[in-house]
Amino acid sequence: MAPNINPTLPLLLLLLLFTLHLSSVSAWKKEEFRTCNQTPFCKRARSRKPHSSSLFATDVAILDGALTANLRQPPPESPDQDQIKPLLFTLSVNQNGVVRVKIDEDPSLDPPKKRFEVPDVVLPEFESTKLWLQRFQTETVDGDSGPSSVVYVADGYEAVLRHNPFEVYVREKQGKRRVLSLNSHGLFDFEQLRVKQEGDDWEERFKGHTDVRPYGPQSISFDVSFFDADFVYGIPEHASSFALRPTRGPGVDDSEPYRLFNLDVFEYIHDSPFGLYGSIPFMLGHGKARGTSGFFWLNAAEMQIDVLGSGWDAESGILLPESGGRIDTLWMSEAGIVDTFFFIGPGPKDVVRQYTSVTGTPAMPQLFSTAYHQCRWNYRDEEDVENVDSKFDEHDIPYDVLWLDIEHTDGKRYFTWDRVLFPNPEQMQNKLAAKGRHMVTIVDPHIKRDESFHLHKEATSKGYYVKDATGKDYDGWCWPGSSSYPDMLNPEIRSWWSEKFSLKNYVGSTPWLYIWNDMNEPSVFNGPEVTMPRDALHYGGVEHRELHNAYGYYFHMATSDGLVKRGDGKDRPFVLSRAFFSGSQRYGAVWTGDNTADWDQLRVSVPMILTLGLTGMTFSGADVGGFFGNPETELLVRWYQLGAYYPFFRAHAHHDTKRREPWLFGERNTELMRDAIHTRYALLPYFYTLFREANTSGVPVMRPLWMEFPSDKATFSNDEAFMVGNSLLVQGIYTEQVKHASVYLPGGQSWYDLRTGIIYKGGTAHKLEVSEETIPAFQRAGTIIPRKDRYRRSSTQMANDPYTLVIALNGSHAAEGELYIDDGKSFEFKQGAYIHRHFVFSDGKLTSSSLVPNAGRTLFSSACVIERIIVLGHSSGPKNALIEPSNRKAEIELGPLWLRRGKSAPVLTIRRPNVPVADDWTIKIL
Amino acid sequence: MKIYIVIHNLFLILGVLFISQIGRSASKSLLSTNPFLGIAPQDENYYKTSSEIFKCKDGSKKLNRAQVNDDFCDCPDASDEPGTSACPGGKFYCRNAGHVPLLLFSSRVNDGICDCCDGSDEYDGKVKCPNTCWEAGKVARDKLKKKIVTYKEGVTLRKQQIEQAKLAIAKEEEELSKLKSEEKILKGLVQQLKDRKEQIEKAEEKERLQKEEEEKKRREAEEEANKEKSKAEKEANQEKNEVKEQVGSEEEPMESTHDDKIGVLDQDVEEDKSNSVAEVEHTDKSENASPTDGIEQHAAEGKEESPVVHETDLHAGNEVSPTSDQATKQENDVAENTEGLSREELGRLVASRWTGENTGQHTEEVDAVKHDHHESHEETPEDTHAEEYDGYASETDDDSQRYDNDDMEDPVDEDFGEDDHYDSSPPYKSDTEDESDFSDITSTSNPSWLEKIQQTVRNILNAVNLFQTPVDKSEAAHIRKEYDESSAKLSKMQSRISSLTQKLKHDFGPEKEFYSFYDQCFESKENKYVYKLCPFKQASQEEGHSTTRLGRWDKFEDSYRTMLFSNGEKCWNGPDRSLKVKLRCGLKNEVTDVDEPSRCEYVALLSTPALCLEEKLKVSSFYQMFNLLFLSSALDSPMVKCCRNYNRN
Repeated sequence: MAPNINPTLPLLLLLLLFTLHLSSVSAWKKEEFRTCNQTPFCKRARSRKPHSSSLFATDVAILDGALTANLRQPPPESPDQDQIKPLLFTLSVNQNGVVRVKIDEDPSLDPPKKRFEVPDVVLPEFESTKLWLQRFQTETVDGDSGPSSVVYVADGYEAVLRHNPFEVYVREKQGKRRVLSLNSHGLFDFEQLRVKQEGDDWEERFKGHTDVRPYGPQSISFDVSFFDADFVYGIPEHASSFALRPTRGPGVDDSEPYRLFNLDVFEYIHDSPFGLYGSIPFMLGHGKARGTSGFFWLNAAEMQIDVLGSGWDAESGILLPESGGRIDTLWMSEAGIVDTFFFIGPGPKDVVRQYTSVTGTPAMPQLFSTAYHQCRWNYRDEEDVENVDSKFDEHDIPYDVLWLDIEHTDGKRYFTWDRVLFPNPEQMQNKLAAKGRHMVTIVDPHIKRDESFHLHKEATSKGYYVKDATGKDYDGWCWPGSSSYPDMLNPEIRSWWSEKFSLKNYVGSTPWLYIWNDMNEPSVFNGPEVTMPRDALHYGGVEHRELHNAYGYYFHMATSDGLVKRGDGKDRPFVLSRAFFSGSQRYGAVWTGDNTADWDQLRVSVPMILTLGLTGMTFSGADVGGFFGNPETELLVRWYQLGAYYPFFRAHAHHDTKRREPWLFGERNTELMRDAIHTRYALLPYFYTLFREANTSGVPVMRPLWMEFPSDKATFSNDEAFMVGNSLLVQGIYTEQVKHASVYLPGGQSWYDLRTGIIYKGGTAHKLEVSEETIPAFQRAGTIIPRKDRYRRSSTQMANDPYTLVIALNGSHAAEGELYIDDGKSFEFKQGAYIHRHFVFSDGKLTSSSLVPNAGRTLFSSACVIERIIVLGHSSGPKNALIEPSNRKAEIELGPLWLRRGKSAPVLTIRRPNVPVADDWTIKIL
Repeated sequence: MKIYIVIHNLFLILGVLFISQIGRSASKSLLSTNPFLGIAPQDENYYKTSSEIFKCKDGSKKLNRAQVNDDFCDCPDASDEPGTSACPGGKFYCRNAGHVPLLLFSSRVNDGICDCCDGSDEYDGKVKCPNTCWEAGKVARDKLKKKIVTYKEGVTLRKQQIEQAKLAIAKEEEELSKLKSEEKILKGLVQQLKDRKEQIEKAEEKERLQKEEEEKKRREAEEEANKEKSKAEKEANQEKNEVKEQVGSEEEPMESTHDDKIGVLDQDVEEDKSNSVAEVEHTDKSENASPTDGIEQHAAEGKEESPVVHETDLHAGNEVSPTSDQATKQENDVAENTEGLSREELGRLVASRWTGENTGQHTEEVDAVKHDHHESHEETPEDTHAEEYDGYASETDDDSQRYDNDDMEDPVDEDFGEDDHYDSSPPYKSDTEDESDFSDITSTSNPSWLEKIQQTVRNILNAVNLFQTPVDKSEAAHIRKEYDESSAKLSKMQSRISSLTQKLKHDFGPEKEFYSFYDQCFESKENKYVYKLCPFKQASQEEGHSTTRLGRWDKFEDSYRTMLFSNGEKCWNGPDRSLKVKLRCGLKNEVTDVDEPSRCEYVALLSTPALCLEEKLKVSSFYQMFNLLFLSSALDSPMVKCCRNYNRN
């Protein structure tokens, strides 16, 4: 990756412009989107000098179990300056190390309007974890002239409000080391709402669009510091490196801040702080010295975030305590309130747990949706669908879901079918379903303004559309032409929308049909920056600027609820969304949008998906093959090999591209792609177990290496390799025709090549030979991975198939792993209808025990057995194993690590133990 | 649940046939009772040896006999598990008595889906698969019977066609050689007439020169006067024009002055000139233009419009207004001055980035939909245009860079489109015209026409005296007429010769079985498109009045089983269009199943007797199928008997 964004950017653009001439393919239209300089609030905030904030806290008190205060400014020096009304400050503490700080205008002082607080993101349960603060202590911190108020946060942690100048931070109780702080650099600014006076000109113009801004500027900005952090991560969605590079400071020329503004960006480039389809204003800091901390600002307006390179504030001459290893950041938002959450960690998994305790853990997906998806814009008609489906069977390549893009509809009216192309949609879906396969159709938020379209008629008559600044139904342009957008902020409208997915309302749908929400940023082709005007109006007088980044979230929510309703609460929804916000993980999967078929975009997919996982959205992936353009065959094969490890594994292509289903590139390449897909299917039990882990703890399926090896500094900026769960390390191959790759294997324990079983030492980089057959992947010593090795047409037919366990022994000849099983589709697991096994191998004995609380009840059973146990790192010699309690013997032999896949050294295999997967048992190697 | 649907459907097919009962019991056979499940007959011996040791087929491993079909994969080549799903990549054989046997991937064994019609792939008791082989076999047999009948008929038709083709080709070859010899004679006659004509013309020229000499002086004086006058006029007009341009009015006056001045000139030349002039002007404009206010923008647009109207006028006659509208829009695209666009135009423009369609086409499409649904007028482009223009043109911006960039890419594309458009139809028509025109010379029934001409020429040459002055007017006219007629005839003859030569050069197949395709086009309607395939010429896709060329005739491929049309119109962001036509035996020439599996790469099926090869009827695969379906399952015996036999096995 390029070491620095800034010098490469102009060059890239030049290159792009150049290729534009050559190939007559257009590319990223940079000038259509605002820069920070063209965005007044961003420009103002960025030009503010450190310590320009003069706020101080008064009236500190405990109210309703929280610490409250007023934030005031000294009276203005000249009378013509505005007197800022005091702001209301609230600090509350929740269980498990979460501190919430809110700052808003005081409603008792009659602001012109209530500022927007994003509803329905914070879990209702979160409120019940609030610690009821009884008191605070006052102390004068060393070096301060005034007092600070201190409250308890968790064992060993305190939150501190310094009164003057105003500053909030969390610190360790012992040694008073700071963890996270807000306004340490005095950059806090809060523009209060105003009533328009004669002569006020607040209008903003961009590219021919005018934003009337009826309440004047209302932005908020402040600085946040992460202490003892070597890097900061998070704040998706950007196509950029995983560890966030500084956007300001010494050595950084003229970079844009990281922008959070949900946008439909045509042909985005692979290395830019530019805002893409979704926004999660959650950042993590991680360092070797202390560990991990996190900061989340619940705010759905446009946000710009600067990562300040060390030395950025050299001029101010003020050094903070422990300024070594500190990373400062500047957060700027156009509207809303300050509603921020401090997560104290200290481990990476603690921080994601804390974050998902606020915004929710990822939903438990349908099992089928964790398998392979086949998509294209567009599978044209029923015959095309049938052909593609049968070709998969002909080539013995499994897939679970076939997708239909916009062209399946009648004139881009969603919920309808082009009856010429799809005369019998139910029959088509039933045919797929007979093979255990599913279908997904697209449903976008833009509704065609067509009087004969029932949805439009209904939405119009009920007043369900978003309004423009003058109060008329907002009319924008999207696929169907002139379109309007349902106002998903309104719960009543969401409920109305969700009814549209019933089998009765969605004519031509079946229970095997699931949904894809595209264009929900929202994308408006003729809107400013290809989206909705900021002065459009939502439910309750909320301006679009205030909720923009969450529009797609509410749309996703309503669609997901629709599928739950359709299934009478018995079928888990599957909805893929392009736009997202904090909390979207509760409603389904996302993908990284319209990427391009080139090697750089293959590479950037890893940091993008890692970032999504770290910020809650673990069920995510990138279009395999690249959406725009035609991938070279080698790139396509490499993409399948990498994509097989994405949490969400879907191939997709633009309609101008050549067909690229896996059998179209000759026998050998078909074999390679089939093998990549089979690898995913074999690992589905492992993946599903990881999805359950994410569902209970928020810990993502695909993880950065440092999440498993938090003190190994060499992993901190590695975004070419990643972990799948705690047991698998995968390294992508991102260049063509490579013969060797350098792979860093962290930790003190060894690693086993996933394919060959060859053992490699940990804690060092290895130069490895790379074959076309696979990308490098390794099983960590000390882990047990469950597999299902039998090939099937789809995951559905694998339900009764036996398991294989692969035990990779560590230095002390031990290993452990888990396996989670449920019915794969209903919500019964919430009532305990699941199997959750814990496998432990030590002293030559494998033990299976249950992790289900109240294991006595059997709400879910499985007749599956374990047919094969492979032990890596065990000396050969034993011939038998004893199975208890059945007191049977099973043969031990040397067998292949994978059936029918290359030649590998034979590995110790317990043949046909055939122990029921649901039972407790032990197997002792004799 | 899903499985039940399948079963249910199968039951429906079977109806009340009691065979289903028997079928079900047959499928219950378990692995334990049949250790040789899934083994193909030709492999049975390999598995049925009495030895206690089993060797994997690839020789890699020796196993205990009990490890065969024990639901655990031991052999890397899957050969120890022919009857289970244990080995990925294994094959399962189902006998399917009453139908054809099937070799399945092992991934289908006990997966809950009935794949073998005898149900033998599902034996673990999770689903029940009825035996449907008899029914399925019957369907297959009927199909095969029909196919054989078709084939036989087709073979006869093909033979007839080949006969006809051979006759026709012989006839044409004969005609060609005759034409060639006649051409020689006619050429001589025409030359003679030409010589005579030139002599007369020389004499006439001499006469005229004398006359002209007499009036020379007077005329010179007159001309001098005329020149002065027209120069003044020209200057005046130019001034007028410039003024008008600044005001931004229509361009017609300029056109009319051209007309006045060079009215005598050929239309085409004139058009070309004014076009190129306009084009230069237009490029100038778009390079410099930074439309800072609405008025100027409008003016620029008005100017841009005119050349386009001009062009379409020339080509398309009455379709002027929609096309020109579209063209204007395209020009806007080129510049991508998004601020000058109406909301709708901007929407279309941004959408077009994903779709690749130019916005003009988009308009057509969307409009078409709109017409269908009687949408309100508010949304038609014209209205919003006028309404919203001023409102959104008021911002300044630094778009000038993009003018340059995009200007270079699109016009090229458009030129392509335009050219091809007008190219495509003429050859198609002109062929037929040629045909009808030739009636007078090709008619072999009337051999005397050449003699007649010869006679006439002889008469003329004899009758007319040489070098008489003044020239006899009627004689001269007579010679001229004869010359014109004969040379016209000659050129017709020559073009017939060349077209015949062209035609006979084509590869009509090893037995000339494709000869009759030469003068035929085949059409197929798929949804809104009509596909037109003219073998040896070209293929196109028509939608309403617009025609897209999918390809020019290229060649036969795949030993005359595929026709290839290539080098069609270029696709945006894609390859040149092409069409592959797969041929198969049928009783009529009929195009079906036109499809575009990959962007702009079309395929179609053409059934034709030309592909009904007699050899194919005898080919082993046909026979094999026939044997399997008819002989091995005892065609005439009642099905119960057949299936009892199966059960005993």
